[in-house]
Amino acid sequence: MQYREIGIYENVLEYISLEISQVLKKIPPEFKANVEEIRLRNGLPLNIYCMNSDYFVTEDGLITKNKDIGKLVTKQDIIKTFQLISNYSVYAFEEEIKNGFITLKGGHRVGIGGKVLYKNNEVEKIKNISSLNIRIAREKIGVSNKLMQYIVEPSNTIYNTLIVSPPKCGKTTILRDMIRNLSNGLEKFNFKGLKVGVIDERSELAGMYNGIAQHDLGPRVDVLDGCNKKDGTMMLLRAMSPDIIAMDEIGSRDDVEAIHEILKAGVKIIATVHGSSIEDLRSRKSLDMLIRDKIFKRYIILDNSKGIGTVKDVIDGNSFTSIKY
Amino acid sequence: MGFLKILSSLLIVFSSSLIGYYYGNKYSLRLENLLYLEQCIKILETEIVYGAIPLPEALTNVYLKGNKKVSYIFEEVKSNLLNNKDEDLYGSFYRVGSKLIEELNFTKEDVELFLSLGRLLGSSDRSDQEKNFKLLLNQIEILKDEALVEKNKN
Repeated sequence: MQYREIGIYENVLEYISLEISQVLKKIPPEFKANVEEIRLRNGLPLNIYCMNSDYFVTEDGLITKNKDIGKLVTKQDIIKTFQLISNYSVYAFEEEIKNGFITLKGGHRVGIGGKVLYKNNEVEKIKNISSLNIRIAREKIGVSNKLMQYIVEPSNTIYNTLIVSPPKCGKTTILRDMIRNLSNGLEKFNFKGLKVGVIDERSELAGMYNGIAQHDLGPRVDVLDGCNKKDGTMMLLRAMSPDIIAMDEIGSRDDVEAIHEILKAGVKIIATVHGSSIEDLRSRKSLDMLIRDKIFKRYIILDNSKGIGTVKDVIDGNSFTSIKY
Repeated sequence: MGFLKILSSLLIVFSSSLIGYYYGNKYSLRLENLLYLEQCIKILETEIVYGAIPLPEALTNVYLKGNKKVSYIFEEVKSNLLNNKDEDLYGSFYRVGSKLIEELNFTKEDVELFLSLGRLLGSSDRSDQEKNFKLLLNQIEILKDEALVEKNKN
């Protein structure tokens, strides 16, 4: 397992400038297997995020908390890395760059920081790139298996489900694995696979690269990559006849409208949202409406008290009581 | 003695003709290759501006669709690019640039135009790339006119 994880890490290094990738190749194997983010910032020490903590990397590949001995990233490293991640073709990633990230083969995502230029009230381009954040996608097959019992209904359908979690607690990973389970079907519950329409606005769920999903989402999935939830909902409902629509990080008024459209069409929904509890969600007007209308029948609350993806609670959407056992 | 004079005269005439032919051919080959290079740049423009095809793939497409007499240089640029991680795009063009004078009869100005592709390609959005291509194609037009004049003179 660790061997596979190290392989994923080393594939990502192919997209990083030679000088920096040679340093990153020297870090200890237990870190290689667990690195979540590699951060390159112009003129600042090389930084990685790993096992819930951030570290600096020295010229010799040693891991340290001391920023003063970290290997300094140069402007040239940033330029070369950006050329590698954009495959020397900025024009081919125009839309992604406007959204602030590029998705790599393997579903890894590179966030871009720099000077943002506007035209007609819209982001036109990012230039003078000053930082890059490479988020390594690590598919966790089976992480949602224990949760499926809460969301599967006996009549071969599911309860509308909302996964609630603070950032970096694994909500996207769990949603992705749930999609895979629902699309594959679950023998244990005599649940036959359903058609799942995925609105992947941030290209994180499927990690599409050249039209191919880089993560296993099962055989009955249709993905709208980079599409906003409102447009995506209408497109899926009109043309793809999904049984379930899955979407990541809902929150805006448009998203709530999209959810109402989904319900009108008799389609089930599974989604994620930033938050730490139902009370927290209630403080946001658009989400409060969804809670009061009892749209979602299951709330899965995550945190990282026992590591990323800890299931803190599972709440019934009618009684608002815990059903976790 | 008379025979020797005739032979040496013939030798002079023959070698002068050969040199003349060689130089004449060089000028006409330059013009022909500039035309093929122009075609290749137009293919590259289509791939990038209208297809948004990533550069390595676009360079291969230019090689496949263009006239092989010239288009092979684009495949070489691609392989330089992919095999030398430490090198930038300009470096990949530069490695091929030196060959152009020997193999394609290009002048330093022609090579400079080719190298400017290495400075411009891929580093900006499609509308910028389009403007750059327009400029390059104008420049190649001037070089072609110049090559035609040279050819007719020689």
